[in-house]
Amino acid sequence: MAERVAVAAMAVRTGFGRGGAGLLGAGFAGTPAFAPVTRFDTAGRRTDRAATLPGCPDLAEELTGVVAEVCAGLTAAQRAATPVLLAAHADAANAEVAAAVVAGTGVAGVPRTYTNACVAASTAVADAATVLRTGRAERVVVAAGYLVEPAMFGLFDAGRALARDGRARPFSRGRQGMVLGDGVAAVLLTPDTGSPLATIEGWGRTGDGHHVVKPAPDGSGLARAIGTALERGGVDPAEVGYVNANGTGTEFNDAAEVAALRRVFARAPVPVSSTKSVHGHALEASGLVELVVTVLALGEGRLPVNAGYLGPDPACELDLVLEPRTAAPRYALTLNSAFGGANTALLVGAP
Amino acid sequence: MTGTRSTAEATLGARVVDARWPESDVDTLPSIPGFILSDFTPLVAAVAERCLRVHHGEPPADPARAARTGLVLASARGDTTTLRIVTEAVAAGRRVPPLLFFQSNPNAVLGHVAARWGLGGPVVCVSPTGDPMADALACAELLIDAGDADEAVVVVAELGEDGDQTGGAEALLVTAEGRA
Repeated sequence: MAERVAVAAMAVRTGFGRGGAGLLGAGFAGTPAFAPVTRFDTAGRRTDRAATLPGCPDLAEELTGVVAEVCAGLTAAQRAATPVLLAAHADAANAEVAAAVVAGTGVAGVPRTYTNACVAASTAVADAATVLRTGRAERVVVAAGYLVEPAMFGLFDAGRALARDGRARPFSRGRQGMVLGDGVAAVLLTPDTGSPLATIEGWGRTGDGHHVVKPAPDGSGLARAIGTALERGGVDPAEVGYVNANGTGTEFNDAAEVAALRRVFARAPVPVSSTKSVHGHALEASGLVELVVTVLALGEGRLPVNAGYLGPDPACELDLVLEPRTAAPRYALTLNSAFGGANTALLVGAP
Repeated sequence: MTGTRSTAEATLGARVVDARWPESDVDTLPSIPGFILSDFTPLVAAVAERCLRVHHGEPPADPARAARTGLVLASARGDTTTLRIVTEAVAAGRRVPPLLFFQSNPNAVLGHVAARWGLGGPVVCVSPTGDPMADALACAELLIDAGDADEAVVVVAELGEDGDQTGGAEALLVTAEGRA
């Protein structure tokens, strides 16, 4: 059984554009991609801001694009043996999107689309790693997408979850909520051979068993997920040099996540940032966009900034990355939490 | 609301489901506080409840097992009623009912089930492209093979089409021992 899983290729599209350059440049420096939404009418909403690609991109086309990018180095026969796990919002049209991705890329098929909210993509990565480690397939592509549209925008607005000031300010005093963002990403995962971009060293998945949508305030469920990921990878907390936090910028979610981080990293504070502060919240796709960000950070030796910071909140005392920081961590974590008390932690190893 | 193997028995390949909805022509769906307008959430909650009662009696579940019990919900079409209501409200420029913010995502009802029964395992929702029960079982097996759960409550639920919105659902508990 293969112990480690390699990220052999990756592709990303966000409000910073198609590809990782804008994300790695302005995004890592802490300049957000938030702007007034022009894709649909936001009259009457609490905010008009989101981080979007130009125009009205089509989800099936964008997903097909990123899957094609990560499969570019594969032969037709290899593609035809490679399953794709998708993550997207629960929608009756998901089967059509899956069929379009298969038709457009020549992959083996899409068994399912993960729809479990903000842990959908990271859950798919954990399942893909299990598929590889148990020899069910030789390669797996995970692809995820969310494109800002009026229904979710209206729902998050009605739920008073969007920041009125149009800025995501994770872990900051005066944070008002989240800002939505386009996010489409794909990774090609293989057994750890050759020269990968990074490795998936471990993962953890837990449920709080606490509430319909609120996280357990003590962070216990997320802490268990982090602990499982570290244990699976055989990595001590002190060896983790960066955490890409879930950090939605909402009052209670951020505080619960800080409680989880304090439980695990009490003796070894770790640099933390939430890059939702620049690319926005891509909902079901956020776990994969943030995995790509984490792999970029490890590869570049730079930690992305936690943008929008106004000052300390006593409930959120962390080693926040508030200025661009050079670092060469051996390991990093990317965390996600969701409605239903679902938590995931992915432990990523430097190449 | 006291489903048993005798009333809910049906085979799925070699497997026996623990619970289904409806169990009869007069079966009803208990409403769930905070969830409105759509039958999807009550449907999922009802079969999960019946399944868990078969194995654990009254809630909460045995803590030793519950800590490593996951939840898997598979639905090819999802909560089409809630999505339709939201889409129509947005298109008409009407305010979206705030409660729909939560129930628009299938995780919310699983959070309800997990909190009620004290389940601490992973929460997974999928839209399968093939047979929903087969895929839900595959997801549960991945959780167990990964060591992320020892047991998983597997729920398959679909709202009806053509105005028959209630549809049907089935649930069963998958265990590591059951796979051996």
